[in-house]
Amino acid sequence: MKDSKAGELKKQFIYNLIRSSLPIIGLIAVCIVFNILTHGSMWNSRKLILNQIYVVMISATGVFFIMSMGGLDFSQGSILGIASIVVCLLSGVNIIVAIFGGILAGAAIGAFNAFFYVKRKIKSFIVTICTMFLFRGFIKYMASNSPVAASMKVYDYDTTAIKLGITAAVLIISFVVFRFTGFGIKLKAIGAGEKATKFAGVRTDRVKFLIYVLSGAITGLAAFVNIVKNGSATANVGSQLETQILIALVLGGMPISGGAKVRFENVIVGSLLYVVLTNGLIMMGLSTQMMQLIQGIVFLIFVAIFADRESLSVIK
Amino acid sequence: MSDIRLEVKNVSKSFGITKALDDVSFNISKGEIHALIGENGSGKSTLTNSLSGIYHKDYGSFILDGKEVDPSNQVEANNEGISIIVQELGTLDGLTVAENIFLGHEDSFVKMGIKNTSAMNRKANELLKKYGFDRIKASDMIDDYNFEDRKLVEIVKATYFDPKIVVIDETTTALSREGRDELYKHMKRIKAEGNTVIFISHDLPEVLTLSDTITVLRDGVYIDTVKSSEIDEDGLKKLMVGRDVTGAYYRADYDEEVSSEVVMKVENVSVPGLISNINFELHKGEILGFGGLSESGMHEIGKACFGASFDRTGSVTLADGTHINDIPTAIAHSIAYTSKDRDNESLIMNQSIRDNICLPSLDKLSNKAHMLSDKKLKTFADEYAKQMSTKMQSVDQFVSNLSGGNKQKVVLARWIGKDSDILLLDSPTRGIDIKVKQDIYQLMDKMRKSGKSIIMISEELAELIGMCDRIIIMKDGLISGELPRSRDMDENSLIAKMV
Amino acid sequence: MYKSKESTGKKLSGQVKGYILLLLLVLISWGIFKIITPDNFGSPKNLLSYFEASLLAAVGAVGFYFVMVMGMFDFSIGANIMLSAIVGCVFANRFGLGYFGLVVGAIMTGAIVGLLNGAFYVRLRIPSMIVTTGLALIYESIANFIAGGVEQTLPSNLRAFGQMPGNLILAVMAFILAYLILNYTKIGTYTYAIGSNEFVAKNMGINVNLYKVLAFIISGAFLGVMAVLTISYGSSMVAVTGMASMSRNFIPTMGCFFGLAFKKYGMPIPAIIIGEFVINIIFFGFIALGAPTAVQDVITGLALLIIVTMTTNVAKGEIVK
Repeated sequence: MKDSKAGELKKQFIYNLIRSSLPIIGLIAVCIVFNILTHGSMWNSRKLILNQIYVVMISATGVFFIMSMGGLDFSQGSILGIASIVVCLLSGVNIIVAIFGGILAGAAIGAFNAFFYVKRKIKSFIVTICTMFLFRGFIKYMASNSPVAASMKVYDYDTTAIKLGITAAVLIISFVVFRFTGFGIKLKAIGAGEKATKFAGVRTDRVKFLIYVLSGAITGLAAFVNIVKNGSATANVGSQLETQILIALVLGGMPISGGAKVRFENVIVGSLLYVVLTNGLIMMGLSTQMMQLIQGIVFLIFVAIFADRESLSVIK
Repeated sequence: MSDIRLEVKNVSKSFGITKALDDVSFNISKGEIHALIGENGSGKSTLTNSLSGIYHKDYGSFILDGKEVDPSNQVEANNEGISIIVQELGTLDGLTVAENIFLGHEDSFVKMGIKNTSAMNRKANELLKKYGFDRIKASDMIDDYNFEDRKLVEIVKATYFDPKIVVIDETTTALSREGRDELYKHMKRIKAEGNTVIFISHDLPEVLTLSDTITVLRDGVYIDTVKSSEIDEDGLKKLMVGRDVTGAYYRADYDEEVSSEVVMKVENVSVPGLISNINFELHKGEILGFGGLSESGMHEIGKACFGASFDRTGSVTLADGTHINDIPTAIAHSIAYTSKDRDNESLIMNQSIRDNICLPSLDKLSNKAHMLSDKKLKTFADEYAKQMSTKMQSVDQFVSNLSGGNKQKVVLARWIGKDSDILLLDSPTRGIDIKVKQDIYQLMDKMRKSGKSIIMISEELAELIGMCDRIIIMKDGLISGELPRSRDMDENSLIAKMV
Repeated sequence: MYKSKESTGKKLSGQVKGYILLLLLVLISWGIFKIITPDNFGSPKNLLSYFEASLLAAVGAVGFYFVMVMGMFDFSIGANIMLSAIVGCVFANRFGLGYFGLVVGAIMTGAIVGLLNGAFYVRLRIPSMIVTTGLALIYESIANFIAGGVEQTLPSNLRAFGQMPGNLILAVMAFILAYLILNYTKIGTYTYAIGSNEFVAKNMGINVNLYKVLAFIISGAFLGVMAVLTISYGSSMVAVTGMASMSRNFIPTMGCFFGLAFKKYGMPIPAIIIGEFVINIIFFGFIALGAPTAVQDVITGLALLIIVTMTTNVAKGEIVK
């Protein structure tokens, strides 16, 4: 009996090892394969690829917190859109005001989501698909005739140092807070068992509310990077970002229901893997629908591998 | 034995790493009430669930009237003549009473794919009338009925087709006196008709009065089958535990004075639909017991004092004047709570032992910059888990892999680590084997002596009598009586106030 | 201890209460817009056209109800409608199979999509909304391959299901079928049983996975019917990518929430039909007000949010993710 128990634990250990190493191995493999297939042109365009990583990676950090608690957020694209418009409008006034304006706009939408999710107890995915649509309507209204242009000043900030700096700052602060304070333990505990976490003294409703606000604020900051990059906000700004983030996190090994098996590395590896994969496929000359087909299949495979089925007694 | 109804032959069943049944063999006769007893985790329910198709056994066979049966679900079991009334709610919301009774057996009412609802309702009403449950109507939604009535519907569902064997798995604990009497009546009727009842219960006096034969299981192993007329409660206990239960099981003192210092004052506390107008005081170094039927509202007392109830009115005040209205305040003021629903409310199952123990103490464990170190958390968790002698590989192990007793030890380790002064223990020994029970009793006694105060809510009267300085009995959400600690107290005097 | 109750009387009054509530909703939504824009809104003729428009989503919603009652979700509704409509159109048009091709092609495609949703969900054991998100990506790209990036137009001689009485006949047939399945077959009973408690249902010998897949197939087939009505009503369909098909999810989902909310009155299907009607009255009300098209999205999102907020009744302490 003792032996079978040890054997079981060993099996679990190996499974966890695969779980944690597969995304990294995948990332390396994808990099090598595409570089060979494109005869190194991928490496040569690394700057271009890097430029696409920032927004996804920053906003994925916020969603990572949400998903650690077992929630979902499909409104990220619209948050980025609204915040981008705000950044554009305020960029004429002052760049600092614009940054804070974007963050505030994102936080406000996050609070809107949180109100319905936490206070009215509506499932997070329902709330956020509603707000996705709702705010997309506003974006279309604002940018329907012509894109909302930012002041020319923003181009001064379009340097790798600033964009990479902001991204790195968000990642490092988030990592330290998530890994080395009670914050991470609490979020994972909510994901693994909310009721018991509440009975252990965590103000779960307050944490949930704040996380949605925080995630909105982080994406609001990503909006600044987005505008620095693009210079204006179109009616399509940020559309599909939520799907991109979801796929990126899943590729990074994130269990879809959050909980104890969540690792911060999921954000970094996942975003990199996602961006490299899509760019590689584009460079291979694949059509949009072909790319989407591959994305869908890869997404399902990774979700199936990383799903934490023990914490879901009934899978709905 | 006379004619054999069921032969259980070499039945084994494992759940992952735990062996729930190990080569169990015994016989059950026709026309008897056969009780199956044992500690929690001894394999009683696993055995009957395997017999009735809820689980599937790994090895061995069930031979019913000379023919091997191997049902893969309850409906197949029913067709073989075996039915079961489960411990939990076995009826489904959103369906009518009739649909619940005939769930899985609709085919006799279906012609060419179309279900004849009125024929089904008619048949169900006839049955309900025959059982004397006229006030339940077949066409009503089952949602409209309370727990008791729904159990009565389950009795009809499990017995209307005159099965050869009816399994009743710990149903009585959830029922009121009237409900129990109704159930006993039908058990006796089934027996009189020459069929067999397999009866699982924790309540040994009930087992002794009701059953003809008793089979004892321990740790998944068959121990013995005895005639109830030839054994008493102590004899059964000995068989269940496998050794003599010594006198030092509970605390031994009787005449100690309890301090007059009040640590918690509960005034006019009500929770809609559960408890109303509850008043009591908890003293320093006191173990205050709460007893009653499980639906008496006593389980809400713990939640109410912990600030975890919804819509609570009235006040819970500590000695320093703090009002307890939410959980974080309660914990910050050194109150601990262990829930009856251990797996959902006390523990985060798919989380490490370490995080489970450290969760309320995170502030204490972090440094000035609010940073935590893994090593510190691990040492902390390890210290208290070991102090409770939790059986585990390491504190990184998930709680879900532990046995019931060890899970409870993790919960207690959490609150000892937090150094709580007031402990609200709801059913602390529920589903725990006798050895761990004894550990918990000794821990409570030690805590009491060191000046900590404990509220113990329990459905086991023996442990209340054995451990408490005072017992408050609840009935229908109200306090119906209070008894001081005494040598002469027996269970009957408590039961009289409960029902 | 025991509560006494009048059974049949209460049941009838429950249904009556439900209908009164729904009719009130119709009256209020109609009344508000009629007062604001009395001229170009809400004549009996207008109301009929609103009702016609609401039939499309109502048909999809009654099918989707089977999935929602079991507590599952489907993000691929829009992709399914798009794919089914395009396949139906290709069958009718390119293969020259006429009405038969349109109806059978669309319904079969819908049912197959449902089968795939159900099979992947049951086999992979992942939350249904996540599986269907991944599958929606795939369905969209398949629709795109089939359409070849061109708008698929239904010839004008095949549009009988886009107007009275064709659309009404098809829709009513679908409603009756859904009602029969729900009330007069085992599938209906088992659907509610699984929705109530999967474990108990499983212990009763119900093949839970089978009935979950069946629910997805039924839902898919009804969405196939909705696809026929949609392409007949709108005459053409564009295969979009990038989850843009998700916008088609909203209206059927809203109706479904009406159904779930009125389940307790024992009249989910009428509630879905009338609910969709109310939603359309509000939409056309805003159009009559001259709201820009972009604002429609705002209304759609907000309307679903409000409907869900009003119809959801969560028990105290229940965990919502």
